[in-house]
Amino acid sequence: MVQFNADTREIAVKVVYYGPALSGKTTNLSSLFQKIDPKVRGRLMTLDTKDDRTLFFDMMPVFFRTQAGVKVKLKLYTVPGQVMHESTRRIVLQGTDAVAFVADSRRSEAPSTLAYWNNMLKNLEANGLDYRSLPIVIQMNKRDLDDARREEEMGDLRRVIQPPIIPAVAIRGEGVVETLYALLQLCYMSLDRQFGLEAKWSITEREFLGKIFSHVDLAGTRLAIPASPGGAPSR
Amino acid sequence: MSLPASFLQQHLPLVDLLDLRSFSEVCQSFAELYRVGLKVFDDNGNKLVDVKVGNADFCGYIWTKPSGREQCIATVGRVKSDHLPEEPAPRTFECFSGCRYVAQPILYEGDVMGRVVFGPFVPEDLHELPVTLRRISTDFDATLAGSYQQKIRRVGVPTAEKILRHFMDLVDVMVFTGHKNLIAAKLHIEAVTESYRELADKNRQLEESYAKLKELDRLKSNFLATMSHELRTPLTSVIGYSEMMLEGLGGPLTSEQREYLGIIMEKGENLLQLITSILDISKIEAGRVRLVLSEVDAAQVMRDAVATVLPLARKKGLKVSCEPGPLPRFHADRDKVRQCLVNLCSNAVKFTPAGGSITVTAEKLPDERVAMRVTDTGIGITDEHVNRVFEVFYQVDGSSTREYGGAGLGLAIVKSFVEAHGGEVSVTSTPGSGSTFSVVLPIRPPPTPAVTPTGPIPVVRR
Repeated sequence: MVQFNADTREIAVKVVYYGPALSGKTTNLSSLFQKIDPKVRGRLMTLDTKDDRTLFFDMMPVFFRTQAGVKVKLKLYTVPGQVMHESTRRIVLQGTDAVAFVADSRRSEAPSTLAYWNNMLKNLEANGLDYRSLPIVIQMNKRDLDDARREEEMGDLRRVIQPPIIPAVAIRGEGVVETLYALLQLCYMSLDRQFGLEAKWSITEREFLGKIFSHVDLAGTRLAIPASPGGAPSR
Repeated sequence: MSLPASFLQQHLPLVDLLDLRSFSEVCQSFAELYRVGLKVFDDNGNKLVDVKVGNADFCGYIWTKPSGREQCIATVGRVKSDHLPEEPAPRTFECFSGCRYVAQPILYEGDVMGRVVFGPFVPEDLHELPVTLRRISTDFDATLAGSYQQKIRRVGVPTAEKILRHFMDLVDVMVFTGHKNLIAAKLHIEAVTESYRELADKNRQLEESYAKLKELDRLKSNFLATMSHELRTPLTSVIGYSEMMLEGLGGPLTSEQREYLGIIMEKGENLLQLITSILDISKIEAGRVRLVLSEVDAAQVMRDAVATVLPLARKKGLKVSCEPGPLPRFHADRDKVRQCLVNLCSNAVKFTPAGGSITVTAEKLPDERVAMRVTDTGIGITDEHVNRVFEVFYQVDGSSTREYGGAGLGLAIVKSFVEAHGGEVSVTSTPGSGSTFSVVLPIRPPPTPAVTPTGPIPVVRR
């Protein structure tokens, strides 16, 4: 749940990258870490095991102050993918405001993707979150691999699944920023609807996204570079 | 349902992120290296670290003057609490004594966690004690104060700011490392707690369904026992009256009537036997089997059992032989041993085609045990079934159109009775050429348990 602190004029937003083991959640965060200006982000914290796979989660804070003086703190988390870390996934998912579901596009991974999707719905429910109203974006990662589902097959998926689907090759940084952008767009709309970001806190969608994405290296993305600092990029 | 709030959702104060003892040591050695005092405050103004270097005499002397003390407190208050812009840059504070402090906020993940204060130090451009200091008291001793001030490090403000920036980098790494360790430890505990909660929840559900199943099983056994009893009572009358009529107590009978009555009696007795078996099994499952031990003559029991099945065997054209051999008497429940042998022999008769033979043998085993075997030349049992024939209700041919009748209770009863004696049953078989069932009993059964040790028998339905 987003945390508002009226005294200090702070808003803390939590974003979680969820998905099966080795689908590329940590790769997404590492790529964002490279692309986001250190002025608006903290260190990327990775709690990993000896075999270099995520043990608990990764976390990266992104923060900015709006013109109206509100401090917005965005925390990006990943969950551990391995099956055994079920309870950690549930804990990390607690109070999330938006979820990026990172899926491996390969046909061979379809069953485990589906299993983790259902697992996520279960864990959201355990945390009292409703997936129908929660901002969710699906990232179809590893589009460059041979066995990846083709564009037509994704079209089928789009008709079945409600959340937006963003293709990506996270290891090359492709689609990573687009995923975050699409997610934060939904996230803003959801928070604005619930808590009146614009009416009560004087934060417009343009400013919310612009404050972040004007500090992101947009080269090679499908997002336009903002014309003026603080302005929002558009598609 | 909702999980307990994770610490990930909480605001962590600086003191939780740093290991205060080792952090103090770092501050200490840093302050000694640069010979300048160092203070660290959290975001509520609480002092976490305070290292004084060189200024004790100077500040101590100022404190002896009331006005000096007052102004000192005011200066320290400003250094500690004045608002600092939220940016990684030092700010200089001037002390009325001519000394300087530089302070910088500790920023972490966009939050102000506290501040570091570096000082007091004497700026390089200060050549004499300022008026603001000399005026604190009429008896102010400038020479003494000047000599005390010599002990404080003289350094340029830009250099002091550079040193502070260097220290802030160090603090940043320490806070990050501390935060990471804290998260790893806390999350580990939370994950274990959550897994435990989940397992405890599952265990509770399993226990509930286990208790429910046990209760259902008990009800089933009770039902079987009651029904068997209720079925037996009228059946005894059916058999009894048929017998009376056959004996002519109701008047003379035609040969057809005799034949019909014979069939009624025979089928009645079959039914009675079946019901008795069910009653036995329900007793076994309820753990109510009691052994009545006595000296048993194996040869006698074997002959009894063979005699019971002999008429049926002859009718089917089977050869039955009983070869007891020399056997010691042994302690057992005679009726139950007899029933075991009867059940095995009946099975042999049932599954052996005309012209076959059945042999009942016995021998003494070396370790104070006796073995009794029933061997037939029947249809045999295939490997897939051989391990399951002793299960309750198990039928090798479970179809409704099967060739051989029965309730699938005979062998289960044998197994339970034999195990109640502390013995064991086994079977070897070659499909198509025959089977040998063995019952091995100790010559003296163990004193307890006198009830069946196996508990409820697994029920298999096909």
